[in-house]
Amino acid sequence: MFYHISLEHEILLHPQYFGPQLLEKVKTKLYTEVEGTCTGKYGFVIAVTTIDSIGAGLILPGQGFVVYPVKYKAIVFRPFKGEVLDAVVRQVNKVGMFAEIGPLSCFISHHSIPAEMEFCPNVNPQCYKTKDEDVVIHAEGEIRLKIVGTRVDASGIFAIGTLMDDYLGLISN
Amino acid sequence: MAEKTVCISQQQTEPIKISKWKVREGITVSVGRPLLLFNILGDQKAQQRKLKSTQAGTIQKILAKEGDVVNPGEGLLELSACSHPTIMHDMCAECGADLRKNDIVGSASVSMVHAIPDLKVSEEVARKLGQADSERLIRDRKLVLLVDLDQTLIHTTNDNIPPNIKDVYHFQLYGPNSRWYHTRLRPATHKFLNNIHDFYELHICTFGARNYAHTIALFLDGDQKIFSNRILSRDECFDPTSKKANLKALFPCGDNMVCIIDDREDVWSHASNLIHVKPYHFFQHTGDINAPPGLNKQENDEHGGVDLTKIRGKVIKKKIDTVQSDELPRTENDDNSKENEIYPEVQKLDNSQEKCDTLEENGTIVISQEKIKPSPEKSDIEKNGVNIESQENVEKAKGQTEKIAEIGNNNNEKTESEGSPKPNNENEEVQTDCNEKETMENKESSHNETTENNDINKKAGSNEISKEQQQPNLQPNPEENGKKSDDDLIEIEDPDDYLIYLEEILKLVHKEFYDEYDLMESGDVPDLKKVIPRVRRHVLKGCHLAFSGLVPWHVELERSRAYQVARSLGATVVQELDDRTTHLVAVRPGTAKVNAARRRKHLKIVTPDWLWCCAERWEHADERIFPLKGKGSKNRHPPPHCSRPEHHRDADYPEHQAPGARKRTPSGRFMDTINPLMSFSRDDIADMDKEVEDIFADDSESSDDEPAKPDAHMEKNISSESFEDLFADDSDDEPAKPDAHMEQIPEFVEKNISSSSDSEDSMTGEFPKGFKRKRQDEEADLLEDSYVSEEDESPSVRFRRGETVDDVLDFELEDTQGSVDAPDEVDDGEWNMMGAALEREFLSNN
Repeated sequence: MFYHISLEHEILLHPQYFGPQLLEKVKTKLYTEVEGTCTGKYGFVIAVTTIDSIGAGLILPGQGFVVYPVKYKAIVFRPFKGEVLDAVVRQVNKVGMFAEIGPLSCFISHHSIPAEMEFCPNVNPQCYKTKDEDVVIHAEGEIRLKIVGTRVDASGIFAIGTLMDDYLGLISN
Repeated sequence: MAEKTVCISQQQTEPIKISKWKVREGITVSVGRPLLLFNILGDQKAQQRKLKSTQAGTIQKILAKEGDVVNPGEGLLELSACSHPTIMHDMCAECGADLRKNDIVGSASVSMVHAIPDLKVSEEVARKLGQADSERLIRDRKLVLLVDLDQTLIHTTNDNIPPNIKDVYHFQLYGPNSRWYHTRLRPATHKFLNNIHDFYELHICTFGARNYAHTIALFLDGDQKIFSNRILSRDECFDPTSKKANLKALFPCGDNMVCIIDDREDVWSHASNLIHVKPYHFFQHTGDINAPPGLNKQENDEHGGVDLTKIRGKVIKKKIDTVQSDELPRTENDDNSKENEIYPEVQKLDNSQEKCDTLEENGTIVISQEKIKPSPEKSDIEKNGVNIESQENVEKAKGQTEKIAEIGNNNNEKTESEGSPKPNNENEEVQTDCNEKETMENKESSHNETTENNDINKKAGSNEISKEQQQPNLQPNPEENGKKSDDDLIEIEDPDDYLIYLEEILKLVHKEFYDEYDLMESGDVPDLKKVIPRVRRHVLKGCHLAFSGLVPWHVELERSRAYQVARSLGATVVQELDDRTTHLVAVRPGTAKVNAARRRKHLKIVTPDWLWCCAERWEHADERIFPLKGKGSKNRHPPPHCSRPEHHRDADYPEHQAPGARKRTPSGRFMDTINPLMSFSRDDIADMDKEVEDIFADDSESSDDEPAKPDAHMEKNISSESFEDLFADDSDDEPAKPDAHMEQIPEFVEKNISSSSDSEDSMTGEFPKGFKRKRQDEEADLLEDSYVSEEDESPSVRFRRGETVDDVLDFELEDTQGSVDAPDEVDDGEWNMMGAALEREFLSNN
């Protein structure tokens, strides 16, 4: 799920940037340091929308670096159990398939893929397909899945998904 | 793991009527899966509702039938809870449960997918998947082929090389400032892979890092048609020194359909389903960059490979003079060799080499023509023929210039043997004629040099491991085609054609396997571990070999490597010539056996190279290519890649001998054989604890009564240095009691020797040798000290003075034969030396 929330971050700035462009530098540094990262609590930081305040800088004694506490608003993506999402299939193998929902990778066990879909290792690319070849899921295909579990680490999130529900599976345009 | 069974009951307040079950007994359901459709009785709208599963698991029993009316609280079905058979990142992939919490133990332990070690499945699932895999393979009539990368299909170096060599890929793996990798594919790799793809499911199995493996896979197979994502790299290997450990996980139903090609046997613990490939060597001074730690292989370093520094020179020259006359390369070579003293053989060879080049080109032209041809089998045979001839000529020219006249003969043979009318044949004949003319010219010019350079050549030649590996050492010549297409790219003549033979071998193995499978009616599957050695035994079947000069006198015939190679190829080896003998493998002419063999007409006399060639290509090589002439052959020992010992085919093959844990688990459970780290049972750990305690107990005991006597099995490993340390320590502690030590030493040494001679392997040979070296070192000291009395002298002193030291020499000689009583003879000298060393020690202390 996407959220627009307020976050805080501390920017450590080298003294070489002390000058008229200082605040600009703090802003650009915030973008590069924050966007694309993942925290266990808030999920993936997709984009910084506004920078609300840049607090007073504090010079670190003995180093000369300055620390700016920055308050900003950002769009974050946090997956939840039970959430239904669209994903792109990355890899298909006999144990299941891997899919990506933007920055989030997700695994779907072949037990969680409808039983009528069979793994076909011989065709290139490998795929899961129904007997009548109505539905073929292979790498780069788009699917809709439901998340049944997430593993949240300090550095990233990994999800387990399923296709066993109504309206899940291959998205046909 | 005990399975919990839960009963799912009717949760509605009203009785319901089941209209349709959406599940069957025995299937696995995940959370949220619809179980059944029902109508609430008395509901006027008669809307069908759906009951979804609130739990993941397997349906054990359905308690109500379709059409039944179920009252609230009554059971609908029994569900056994999810046993977490598939785990990804410690999360059950079926139900999403977090297995790091709540002490939930998952049964999944097999990582079945090559590149994703985090994904594990339970043994049951693994078996099911493995079963499905092998069924599919049989249905498609395929086998599994594990392909090694480094030095099997490719050769990679980190050295600086010219950037414009054709067919070399350059890449960086770890960002813009990391080191460069330069990878050369073995000639005809793409063709090989595409052809073999129809018969085998190919897996990459390499010790390179994951990144590296996937990059190379991209070069080999751009659209992932061949390898797909079946890539196993170092990151996924259980054991850093062996690839064997992963086999069981990848193929849970057994590896009886698995064939392996690799240039090293040791990483597969000499499995019998391994086809040992001739290592591919292109870049000089680089071995296998991804060799496992401690197993670094150096054997083909320095010897093979193309010297790229010369190419650089060549590039410059090429730019200067664009006109390429026929005479130019010759003068160039002469210049080079005069400048370059390191490669004396080049100087001698330059004349004959030209001829080889034309021949080689001849060969390549044939290959390229035949690629287009539709009938692969026929052309393959012919191609091989041509290649052998041309290669043969290269060797000859390289090795013995005086035999050039014979090459002429060979060329005649060639024209004879390929006399069948073919469109390109005339061409060849013309060229062969040219070659002959050239040969005659070369012969005259080279004869002058031959005598001078023979000695140097011998030295250079003794370094070579095999003739083919030597070939790249010849100066690489840019090919005519390369020049036409692109001036900047250098195309290097690469004589390696092993993949052609390998392809034949693999096809043969495949055919043999399925022939046998078809014969088995019961649906049993033959075992490649038996099929492959059998195919190999067909190579020289019916041949009766005798060796001359190949096996040293003191080595038993049955123990010699040549014998083992011949046996593994199915030949019979006899000690002496008899009526049935078909081949005599002789190292040099003029031996009694060779002379006797010359009198028999049907007997073919060949050099050992013939045998090695057969072993390398798994085919009965033409004996005419390896006649015993002139100086004979230098290749007494088989090149490492064909020295495979005969396998104990009758004994059941030791499945996984590498990790010691395997044998510890008597339970024989499947899981135990998969990952050594998971297989320690409680008993094992208790065993290990006991072992450690025993060792400690032993130590304390022995140190109590006699500090200088280490534990029996530790003794073997003690080097001579540590002896000295022991003595030094003792003498420091108690310098006042020299007599006691003097008594102790002989006993100690004796014990050592007897224990070391007990161990059967090379220990016996090496142990005393180390002593001897040590002795010599100490000898020098003793001489300086000038305290040496006549009695205490060790043999090496006498030896230095020119006296006879028969006992030592005898000992060494006998020892190589595995004699047990040999060490006794050395005893005297041994502890005399020890005594002397000790004496010196005391004296210096005083």
